[in-house]
Amino acid sequence: MSEERIGGIAGKILRVDLTAGKIWNEELSPREWREYLGGVGIGAKILYEEVGADVDWDHPDNRLVMATGPLAGLPVWGTGGLTVVTRGAMTNGATSTQANGFFGANLKFSGYDAIVLQGEAPNWVYLFIHDDKVELRDATHLLGQDTWETQQALEEETGYNGHMLSVYTSGVAGENKVRFAAIHGDYGHVASKNGVGAVMGAKKVKAVAIVRGNQPLPVHDTKGLYQIADQIGYELRNDPTTKGLYQLGTLGGVRNLLKLGALPIKNYTTNLWPEDVSGEIWEGPALRDGMDHRGHQCSACGMHHCHQSVIAEGKHKGEIVDEPEYEGWAGCGWTIGCTDPQEVAWLNTQVDRACVDVNEFGWVIGWVMECYEKGLITKEQLGGIEAKWGDVEAANALLQMIVKREGFGDILAEGVKRAAEHVGGESLDFAVYTEKGASPRGHDHRGRWEEMLDTALSSTGTLESGMMLSPQELGLPLRINPFDPDQVSMLVAGMLGRRHFEDSLGACIFTTRTSIEQLCNVLNAATGWDYDLEEAMRFGRRTACLLRAFNIRCGIGPELEKPSKRYGSQPVDGPAKDLNVMDHWETMVASWYERVGFDRQSGKPKEELLQSLGLENVAKDMWG
Amino acid sequence: MTQTGESITVRVDFISWVNQFVGGSGTGATEFDEQVPPGETVRGVLNRLSERHPKLKASLWDENDRSQIGTHIEIIVNDAVLGVAHELDSQLEEGDRITLAGQYVGG
Repeated sequence: MSEERIGGIAGKILRVDLTAGKIWNEELSPREWREYLGGVGIGAKILYEEVGADVDWDHPDNRLVMATGPLAGLPVWGTGGLTVVTRGAMTNGATSTQANGFFGANLKFSGYDAIVLQGEAPNWVYLFIHDDKVELRDATHLLGQDTWETQQALEEETGYNGHMLSVYTSGVAGENKVRFAAIHGDYGHVASKNGVGAVMGAKKVKAVAIVRGNQPLPVHDTKGLYQIADQIGYELRNDPTTKGLYQLGTLGGVRNLLKLGALPIKNYTTNLWPEDVSGEIWEGPALRDGMDHRGHQCSACGMHHCHQSVIAEGKHKGEIVDEPEYEGWAGCGWTIGCTDPQEVAWLNTQVDRACVDVNEFGWVIGWVMECYEKGLITKEQLGGIEAKWGDVEAANALLQMIVKREGFGDILAEGVKRAAEHVGGESLDFAVYTEKGASPRGHDHRGRWEEMLDTALSSTGTLESGMMLSPQELGLPLRINPFDPDQVSMLVAGMLGRRHFEDSLGACIFTTRTSIEQLCNVLNAATGWDYDLEEAMRFGRRTACLLRAFNIRCGIGPELEKPSKRYGSQPVDGPAKDLNVMDHWETMVASWYERVGFDRQSGKPKEELLQSLGLENVAKDMWG
Repeated sequence: MTQTGESITVRVDFISWVNQFVGGSGTGATEFDEQVPPGETVRGVLNRLSERHPKLKASLWDENDRSQIGTHIEIIVNDAVLGVAHELDSQLEEGDRITLAGQYVGG
């Protein structure tokens, strides 16, 4: 490997000015690559430096950063990673959301680490990338096509298919700037949070199509990289903390979360399993084996996680679907009262094809169904649709109205917070959202306070601290009482930064479930650097500060850091029924602020924290 | 569940993939009725089961601190997560129920 080139780094950021139709490459210095890595690290830098407070999510000057990281394209499990960073449509604030598949690998093999879309195209286009051939091509013939149809059309048009071509599109939802539109690619991989698809649509970009290029991607220590990658794979296969995920992906979530009172059932109206529903059919193995299926793995991945299936019975028998993740089973099933796995799997794929966030879809439809039951929304308002609990055909009819913004769908396309504000009255009490506008993940967070706190305080439009992994490494206890305000705050604050490090590597969060030390080992083998736990967390904290500073500059402050009435309500039954998170909310928030070094009053990262992280310019912006 | 005077009975459920550690198939629930002395703790019951099931012993306890449960298995005592009404060293009563489920976070 040449001395000039950093292993694992393609070395170029692809800039596309859609307004001017101009395309160019940008390079970073070796110091900058180490400092910003990729993914959300690069994205946060660009967002903070280039998107001003007056540039709303749909303004042409907003940036849509589609970045991967140093591990993408290498023989490390789950390394096709895409991180999307932008000013998102749900919160009108910073966003970091991920998908996998083959995006990152194909982009790197064409010689790029990230794409930055800026401006707004005069007419609908798609971006075609194949090595040095980068073109904005007319996309008017693709309008109206869903995510799978768009990929199929571009496979035919370009002559590439399978893993040779990644097509990431925002579907019809993006075309119509549905506020919770996602970006979907490689048949089932979705960067879904904070309306990134709406941003893509606002730029009149129908898709990004990347051919698996032919550029070399050398690493610093090939043998070492293989050894560490093998070790991580072995751990994922055999370690009891990850074995269930290795075997079944996220299919075990429904049964496990029910036990914790964290399965969202019928829009948070109950936490009890219906007596007439078999528990056996909702076991992880049964969900997989209940349909013919085959592996649909991401780049270089050995997990038995992503699958495609064939609907085995019912109205849609024989249709091919993407096996839902846990959150698909929740958002298209339990949240809206549907308990038939075959029907849920079918609806989940319609959501993917339409290209909206499955979590927000669940909160919207669950809210409509509850309001319909209570007479607050009528059949006439819904264009003749009877929105009864569990009716997936009705849910799909509403989905199609939403993505086309037809009739009442135009109101629902704004997301549940704004739809409830529109309908008003008692309906506001039933909507699950954060005051920032971000969608909670597909859990009942009244049984998982750490995720509610993380969701409300996050600067990314979704969870920012994420899951408790290798907590001892960060000086955290192995277990916490999930309903102890101080311990919850300690966990969420203590983990802040780890997820940003993972999301900058170009890898999947399900294959980075190892220690930070091990992640540093594989990063160092690729790059030749000597990253360690301290540098990784410093990187993560710095990224968190950049995103928070961006939001503060945009007017998104502490006053919005709370759940809606229903989201923060006390469960009426189930394992968490005696627990009221709002009794402890202020205590938890204040404690979190203290621990992360942010100012409780203004929400800003404190001046001394910013300076200690080398963010003197941000300190000056924030504090003068 | 009966109390004999010499012992109490505690029900222990291993649900879904966690039951692989006690000889189950990884689906459904595997249940044990444990006869233990009055005053036995949650830790004591889990230790007894760990001694009988080596896979559980290897998986349940943290590899760096064998006195603590690892992060990946949730312990639920009478429908409340460990830490709410019971700690590891809390004493159990006749008819108490311990459930072990896989920890679950994410998509």
